[in-house]
Amino acid sequence: MTPDPSGLRARATVLRALRNWFADHGYLEVPTPVLVPSPAMEPTLFAVSAHGGFLRTSPEFALKRVLASGLPRIYEIGPCFRDREHGGWHGREFTMLEWYRAGASLPDLMDEVESLVNAAADALNRPRPGRWSRQTVRELFRDHTGVDLAHATAAEISPLDPDDWDGAFFRRWVSDVEPKIKAPTFIDEWPASQAALAEVRAWRRWPVACRFEAFVGGVELANAFLELGDPADQRARFEHAIDAMRRDGERPHPLDESLIEAVGRIPPTAGIAMGVDRLVAVLCGWNGIGPGRVV
Amino acid sequence: MYETSDIKNGLKVEMDGYPWTVVYFQFVKPGKGTAFTRTKFKNLMTGNVVERTLRTGERLTPADVAEDNMTYLYNDGEMYTFMNDETFDQVAIQATVLGDDKQWLLEQMKVRVLFYKSRPVNMELPTFIDIVVKYTEPATKGNTSQGALKTAEFESGATTMVPLFIETGDTVRIDTRTGEYCERMIKK
Repeated sequence: MTPDPSGLRARATVLRALRNWFADHGYLEVPTPVLVPSPAMEPTLFAVSAHGGFLRTSPEFALKRVLASGLPRIYEIGPCFRDREHGGWHGREFTMLEWYRAGASLPDLMDEVESLVNAAADALNRPRPGRWSRQTVRELFRDHTGVDLAHATAAEISPLDPDDWDGAFFRRWVSDVEPKIKAPTFIDEWPASQAALAEVRAWRRWPVACRFEAFVGGVELANAFLELGDPADQRARFEHAIDAMRRDGERPHPLDESLIEAVGRIPPTAGIAMGVDRLVAVLCGWNGIGPGRVV
Repeated sequence: MYETSDIKNGLKVEMDGYPWTVVYFQFVKPGKGTAFTRTKFKNLMTGNVVERTLRTGERLTPADVAEDNMTYLYNDGEMYTFMNDETFDQVAIQATVLGDDKQWLLEQMKVRVLFYKSRPVNMELPTFIDIVVKYTEPATKGNTSQGALKTAEFESGATTMVPLFIETGDTVRIDTRTGEYCERMIKK
């Protein structure tokens, strides 16, 4: 594919706007390794193997070790790799922005997302996405499918997936819920089973993960966590993920002991990952990430 | 069997006892979920379009379909006879299978016939055909209103609306997808 000069100029403008925004808000840019011994431990993420290690699926583990060292506001913008992902809005190699802020709440991060996205839009001379709303996953499901997730079985959510609650959830999400999200929306209170590295409010009758996703133009732009701070819980989740990978016939990734150790030392922190290729694309009104990339 | 990674526009698959062709697909993967392919299928017999969300790893059955270039020969009201352009075999197809499209058939017209499990199930006309107007009312003097239309009957038996300046014996171009008039090709 021939590189698109105007697309690449837009991308460069956004990257500059992002770095300016972080500098203005007291964040330190920290480059961490792309080649890592242990990539993300999630059964739905596939890492690219490289030279006895892996290309990182996100900079999350390394940045948490930096957080534990005592830097309270850090960010990184750089390449990440996820195997078996390709399409109009996905690339095996893509640019990820992650930032972490000690002492912040999820609503604090929502405010930052809005401010950051507006700064990027202003730099591009493009319209800001408009007023953001906040909705829970349970509300969205009820509105668009009539299903109450707190009480529904897998078969009630999706008859094709009677034995897999999360699989049923995502098939219905992709088919009937996500396509309805047009306005800028923060979607929070995800099912506890999809917490990844987020804290969980397990005592509730409908246990949810302390995490939100930011959608603009119908595109999933970012994913934020109230970061898990319990090393024992972290280890249990990794072991659970390893079991799931084995069940799927995949080779589990090596367990990252240095991350588990760091989790015990990080202060209460909110962190977020944003797809930079997608941010450029939605602000420019493209129908995919293609024009902003050289492939 | 096909895998989700085989999905592309034009892929022919069998579902619910019908042959379908893929007309749209998009890879989707929620950040914390499994990957899916949002896919739209068009029913090759009825034209209906349905959307299915297929999970990566799910399989699709290839449809036993073939498409042949054929020439229309004649009909006896119930059966329409076509000749295969390659093998010169003749095939008779029931009028009901051809639907409304049969009204545009002219002898020697080149069409594509779709076979499902060796049975003819659908016919595709050329997108544009040039056809002679068998009869249309002469334009009344004085009626010069822009965009006014009148009915015309064609040599194949079909009728459609045409502009007032079209006369009996003219050859006009028709878009067979909509059955609508496009332009005048030859003035009588």
